[in-house]
Amino acid sequence: MEFYANRKDEIQKIFKAKEQFHRERGKLPIEEKIKILVELQKMAIDIPTTSKEKRFKRVWEI
Amino acid sequence: MEKAIKIINEMQALGIIKKYAVGGAVAAIFYIEPLLTYDLDIFFVPAEESESLLTLSPVYDYLKGKGYKPEQEHIIIEGVPVQFLPIYNDLVKEAVDNAVQIEYKDTIVNVLRLEYLLAIMVQTSRPKDKQRIIRFLDEGNFNETDLAEILLNHKLKARFELYRRP
Repeated sequence: MEFYANRKDEIQKIFKAKEQFHRERGKLPIEEKIKILVELQKMAIDIPTTSKEKRFKRVWEI
Repeated sequence: MEKAIKIINEMQALGIIKKYAVGGAVAAIFYIEPLLTYDLDIFFVPAEESESLLTLSPVYDYLKGKGYKPEQEHIIIEGVPVQFLPIYNDLVKEAVDNAVQIEYKDTIVNVLRLEYLLAIMVQTSRPKDKQRIIRFLDEGNFNETDLAEILLNHKLKARFELYRRP
């Protein structure tokens, strides 16, 4: 734990940068975001999931 | 997705539904970083007020007439599974009434306002809502005053405070 305690500022900086990254992605145009969503669907389509979700899992046509 | 939205806009213009707004994960994507979803949630005010599930009949009849096929609780419109959800309480009704119009490609789409979306998630509080609320608080650029008013009016303030970071 001492390792982390001594690096509190550095670690906080990493988390702040991460939050900033997500915030920036949130500002992308909606058209870009929907393209990213479709890429996510393609990546996740074969990952086993709940039976409810499985029924309508499909990659959207945009 | 644009084609599906066009069909839903058409339904509103024809009076098959009074008003609609995109909700759920897709509405969230309008405001925060994209998250994975496979369906498009459409909250709508039925053309005729009714307490029964028959409110969905005109919607399904119209869409089936156009050749779209229902699959369980969804109907597939132009390759997108769409779930139509009639307004089910005062908060959702108010949210649809106050939806904003946003341009997606060449189409105008009604989307729940960020503050209402957040309030509905607080009210629903399913595990996925809880995750999204935290993301909204980190990433979403919401109006604190508007949100506070909505939460107060719908008695959700105390529940919402549980999500606030110390």
